[in-house]
Amino acid sequence: MHGLQAMSYLPILLYLIAVIGFAAVSLILPHLVAPRKPTTIKGMPYESGMDPVGDTRKPLDVKFYLIAILFLVFDIELLFLYPWAVALNNPEGIPAEYRIPVLWVLLVLLATLGLAYIVAVKKGIFEWRRK
Amino acid sequence: MNWYEIWAELWPTLIAIGIILAVVPVVGLYATFVERKLAAAVQDRLGPNRVGPFGLFQAIADGIKIFLKEQIIPSHVHTFIYMLAPCISLMTAMFALAVLPYGPTPVNYFGGLRFIVMPGLDISLLIMFAISSLSAYGIILGGWASNNKYSLYGAIRSCAQFISYEIPMGLSVIGVILVAGSMNIETIVASQGSGDGISGWNLWWQPLALIIFFTSALAETNRLPFDLPECEQELVGGFHTEYGGIKFVLFFLAEYTHVVTVSFLTTLLFFGGWHFPGVPSEVTASYGILALQMLVLLVKVCGVVCFIMLLRWALPRFRFDQLMGLAWKGLIPLAMLNLVFLAVFESLGWHRWPLAVLSVLLFVAAGYWSAWQSQSFVRKASVT
Repeated sequence: MHGLQAMSYLPILLYLIAVIGFAAVSLILPHLVAPRKPTTIKGMPYESGMDPVGDTRKPLDVKFYLIAILFLVFDIELLFLYPWAVALNNPEGIPAEYRIPVLWVLLVLLATLGLAYIVAVKKGIFEWRRK
Repeated sequence: MNWYEIWAELWPTLIAIGIILAVVPVVGLYATFVERKLAAAVQDRLGPNRVGPFGLFQAIADGIKIFLKEQIIPSHVHTFIYMLAPCISLMTAMFALAVLPYGPTPVNYFGGLRFIVMPGLDISLLIMFAISSLSAYGIILGGWASNNKYSLYGAIRSCAQFISYEIPMGLSVIGVILVAGSMNIETIVASQGSGDGISGWNLWWQPLALIIFFTSALAETNRLPFDLPECEQELVGGFHTEYGGIKFVLFFLAEYTHVVTVSFLTTLLFFGGWHFPGVPSEVTASYGILALQMLVLLVKVCGVVCFIMLLRWALPRFRFDQLMGLAWKGLIPLAMLNLVFLAVFESLGWHRWPLAVLSVLLFVAAGYWSAWQSQSFVRKASVT
């Protein structure tokens, strides 16, 4: 049975191999065909004609990190919602007598998410301009 | 399972893969051509008209030129990741097409013929989201490996934008999943079929979800008005400043593939896929009806693609704080409120038509609230 199930995903594996092959060939082939005349100027970073100052490996605004953490919170809550959405109207899904209790659970879940959202707003995570 | 059965399963898959691999580069090349023609029409120009009739061979000429250009690898980049990044971008963009039906596939697969690489997959919508969010890797790796400040800032902005718009996009499709009771895109399309071919579309009772989905999807494709990662005035080329020749083309092929994917998704989830008044809604074994259904789907998709291209000339670009504010202060609360209404209505088994009215009311209220907010912001700014 396991072998059969794995077999039914064969098209996706084949397609993945085909796509990797397509991307690799279309990347490498022009590098073999094209002329090459590297110079120092061509190898420089393009920063609007100025000579680059310093290195690129610099610290960034911590806001991006906070956004990434918030994204994790919201995305995981989102993944909890998908099974409910599939099961609610499915004849093999949630039985009719459990619909109201499940609704309460869902509303509590959304309320915690709303609370987290309000905390984030009050902390000023979404304010990008300094006052 | 013997070898004969494996082969019987294999060849329709290989044909479907071959179709996609042949069509994607052509679509990518001609999408640029159509975009240039549309831009010319908007700006009262002629657009490309020298190569071939109506400039039709311009795309092919561009392709040959790019193929034969010098492929520069700058001396300051991290060579391996620098080469890998456009590959990842294109791979993820094309891999999302594996679960995208470009026509109705009959149950018996027509003795093999099918219009999707992976038919009958129950989590195809989830796979679609998982794969398309991976394309952020292509952009951020490219930006980091370029070792250029413009590239790095473009890539970081792009990553923040990607993950921010992922959430409203995921929240808005929950209504669509609810109606079909499945995450299989083919089942979702089938659930929108009805006698007259138009009243079953998800668009009618979830207009707000459509607006949220389309806006976030547009932001995920990195196109105007959401093209902050590559806005020319601020960041030169953004993450692809250091890329030229074929590597640049791979990034742009990925972008146009994204546009096509997004148009397909919008059509399949909200505009009823291949359902249209006058077209039989059931999937039959008749070639004529199948061709008609595919034509309907393709016309709808082309309409959405042209709409995205025209939107580029209709709207100004967002500022970065406005962009993040739209996702976190606008779309996510709206999508969550919409979801609460949806949950209550569906769980109590009420009629669906008040949902459409409610979502329109929500949209208007949000518009009024944001207008009031910006006015009070202007008042404060003028006082100080």
